[in-house]
Amino acid sequence: MNAATGRLVRTELKLMLREPLTLIFVFVFPVVTMLIIGGSFGTKPSGAFDGVNPSHWYVASYLTVVIAATGLIMVPVHLASYRERGVLRRFSAAGFSRWSFALAEAVTGLVAVAGGAAVLLAVAAPVYGLPALHDPVAAVTGFSLGAVAFVAIGVLLGTVLPSARSAQAVGLVLFFPSFLLGAGGPPPKVMGSALRSIAGYLPLTRVSDAVRDPWLGIGPATASLVAVAALAAVATAIAARRSTL
Amino acid sequence: MDNVNVVVVRGLRKSYGGRTVVDGLDLDVRAGQIVGLIGANGAGKTTTVECVQGLRRADAGTLRVLGLDPVNEGEKLRCLVGSQLQSSGLPDRLRVGEALELFAGRHDDDLLEEFGLSDRRRNAFGSLSGGERQRLFLVLALVNRPRLVILDELTQGLDPSARRSVWAAIDQLRTGGTAVLLVTHELEDAERLCDRVVAMRAGRVLDAGSPAELVDRHGPWATVRFSMPAGSPGVVTPERLRRLPGVGDVTWERGRVTLRGERAAIAHVCAALVSAGWVPPDLSVHVPSLEDALVDLLERSSADDELATDKVVHLDTIGANR
Repeated sequence: MNAATGRLVRTELKLMLREPLTLIFVFVFPVVTMLIIGGSFGTKPSGAFDGVNPSHWYVASYLTVVIAATGLIMVPVHLASYRERGVLRRFSAAGFSRWSFALAEAVTGLVAVAGGAAVLLAVAAPVYGLPALHDPVAAVTGFSLGAVAFVAIGVLLGTVLPSARSAQAVGLVLFFPSFLLGAGGPPPKVMGSALRSIAGYLPLTRVSDAVRDPWLGIGPATASLVAVAALAAVATAIAARRSTL
Repeated sequence: MDNVNVVVVRGLRKSYGGRTVVDGLDLDVRAGQIVGLIGANGAGKTTTVECVQGLRRADAGTLRVLGLDPVNEGEKLRCLVGSQLQSSGLPDRLRVGEALELFAGRHDDDLLEEFGLSDRRRNAFGSLSGGERQRLFLVLALVNRPRLVILDELTQGLDPSARRSVWAAIDQLRTGGTAVLLVTHELEDAERLCDRVVAMRAGRVLDAGSPAELVDRHGPWATVRFSMPAGSPGVVTPERLRRLPGVGDVTWERGRVTLRGERAAIAHVCAALVSAGWVPPDLSVHVPSLEDALVDLLERSSADDELATDKVVHLDTIGANR
């Protein structure tokens, strides 16, 4: 990484922390909703929650809400506002290397996910306790690939949508169904068959399965992990090309 | 450094969706020279500089900037070029000092001071006024001591005093051997700063030369007005004024003379009046500006195009009737 790219990454990280939309959706919203929903079903293991403690089921699930908020709201709104205001043109004309902005967005998105997840776990630990990691490698792999996939999807949305407002509107429309059906809403086992099958097609459901199942010992979730890996590879390849300066 | 070609463009063509925006343009900018691209909206000025910077790929033609291909060697080139682009901004929450650090990797208090921004270092871009933003863009364009500076709408939003300080800074660039390519609607900027201006319309060069040459070639006549009551001493008659070198026409109505002619005629008229012993107290002179010249040039070129279109339509009609 050359010096200019390093400066761009540092600046983007700094600006991320000054953006209220990011702070609310990535750092506050998942924590608040986890506290509400995670405490709504008690702590007694239940069949609806794959035989695990519902609070723990939600703690694991809400990590992916942070991923969705970053990928579907923070990154696209940020990128679309830069395009709308001609900031990317300025970066390009100023001689930042072709891949520097793509790298800065990847780093910023992944740091946001890591920071949001850390805040979430720090709040969950004293309230619900952190569930033991049954298969840490698989769970961390699922989380990492999910984060990469959603940051890349966010970059793609940001390069397609014409303005920050449209990115915000589309991001919210994509985020809330994903959040309710794929991570933070009712568990799939209590959903009707139609909703369950819709949920099964959502990328965030796959990421949630790939994180939660190996973490809580529900199962290896290999199919979901493979799907998330494929999504991460394809989305990253396209996003990298589209976000060059 | 002088006479070294910094920008060489030959036969540049660029279209968007079938609409030709730049049509066979040639352009040269030498080290230490300030060249202005002027013309109406949609003349292709901004597209031209975007191609020069490698931000857009030309459809045809050759471009060399500091000996480099702007597209294939764009990254290398952009480090040598400073630019202040039209409709390009900065993140609202980025502070002035941080912008300088981001784009230049260092602080430059002198430059901030020079452009009146030193007390705004900790202010966010979003809180700056239009003029302050424009000055910050200039600081960012100049901070890396570039060999070519591209300025698109240089003084837009600046108050007269800020405008003068910008002019002084650009003058200094020329002295230091930097080449400047200026895109502007503010023809006062072009007239004041440019060694050479290129007048464009519909993607083509209509004419190029120094501002004075363009005014001479295309500007309307200079106008001199003064009162001269009948029976004034020395008797400078309209006939005598008309015979002076460079004088075009003279009208004399109700004791007021309006005289049009070449700029040199002004001196002859004044000399004639003085030698006749008549120094008019209300003498006024209007000398054509670059703006007058460009308006005339664009109007003539537009009229020529309409004439050409009429001819084509007429020929088509003849053909259709056969």
